[in-house]
Amino acid sequence: MEMLYHQFKRRVFSMAHRIVGPSDVEEVAQDVFVRVFRGLAAFRGDSQLSTWIYRLTVNASLSHLARRGRRQEVGDEILADVPAPPDLTRDPGLAARIEAAMQHLPPGYRAILVLHDVEGMSHEECAAILECRVGTCKSQLHKARARMRELLGAIGDEA
Amino acid sequence: MNCGDVQIALTPYLDGELDIDRGREVRGHLRSCAACRQVAREESLLRDGLRALPTLDPPGDLWRGIARQLANAELADATGPRWRRVVARWQRSLRGLTVATAAVAIAIAIVAAVGIWRASHRGLQAARPELAAAPAATAPEVAIAPVVATPEGAPCSSLGPRDLAFDLKTEPTCVTEAYAAAATSLLDAALEQRALWSDEHQSEFNAKLDQLRRDIDLASEGRPRQRAYRALIRYLQRVTSRDEVELAGVRGAP
Repeated sequence: MEMLYHQFKRRVFSMAHRIVGPSDVEEVAQDVFVRVFRGLAAFRGDSQLSTWIYRLTVNASLSHLARRGRRQEVGDEILADVPAPPDLTRDPGLAARIEAAMQHLPPGYRAILVLHDVEGMSHEECAAILECRVGTCKSQLHKARARMRELLGAIGDEA
Repeated sequence: MNCGDVQIALTPYLDGELDIDRGREVRGHLRSCAACRQVAREESLLRDGLRALPTLDPPGDLWRGIARQLANAELADATGPRWRRVVARWQRSLRGLTVATAAVAIAIAIVAAVGIWRASHRGLQAARPELAAAPAATAPEVAIAPVVATPEGAPCSSLGPRDLAFDLKTEPTCVTEAYAAAATSLLDAALEQRALWSDEHQSEFNAKLDQLRRDIDLASEGRPRQRAYRALIRYLQRVTSRDEVELAGVRGAP
């Protein structure tokens, strides 16, 4: 059991961290692993074990956000939280800005961005984890990136 | 391709998911449009930035928290009410049900419901005194289902373990016997209902029944006789179901 934990802990923790944020990530990651170990006997092998575990991670993270009621529309006021340097190409703090901006995305966009762009999964894998069609994944990713550009671009304009 | 088209295609273009021709169109537009080039540059930077984000290490005590939660859950399982464990076990079993199994279960339930309804319907008729007193003098003597024996003389239903050659040899006889049994059951049902019919309808029924019984007697063994039985079964099914539909119309559906 502990071996399985060590195999998946970093990816589960990273995904949960980027979807729910740093304050609740430990609670969600614990919840995911408890669900994994208690549900392992009922796992029927319809999908890969990793897909099943990541699906649990995304679902647990989104459910946590829904419970917490943190769905919020992004307004201009949030951009003040994320200071922007003038040139993105030579921006040493780009990673931090991206992480901060991601927390202001709607949860669904955040999930697809984390799975596809951060974790490098294919659209097919993302569709299996999110239980949606590949086309839906692609359009969600396009919208998520456009929203992120808006967030980061507006920050640049403000600075 | 205009700017709107290009910006929609930009995400798959940057991810290398567009086919060669479409990719060339997007590239051509980007060469000539500074605004779209800027959008592409920003999206490209964003994508690279997202891909460069590091995988994070969980805190060292995360496993201790998980182990504690698992222990608590097991404790709750062991000390909880028994019915909850039974329900959980059933839930696990039901999860294994396939769509096909569910469809078979539904079909069995429907057949059972129809059987119960038909049985209660017949019971209702038998309970009606005016139906019991109705004239039945014209009823023909019925002896449709003879005890059909296999070539070895043993009835199909009482056969013990058999081999394949024996099965093939006795199969036509057993099928005929099954048809005869079905015809008898249907005829019983039709005769019960006959008291409700008009004299004209009863005469018509009796004549048709005589004809079909003659066909059975005249048919040779095997498939011709089975065909004759099937004709009788179809007729009886039609007669009894028509009657039930009419009755249901008069009394209202049960």
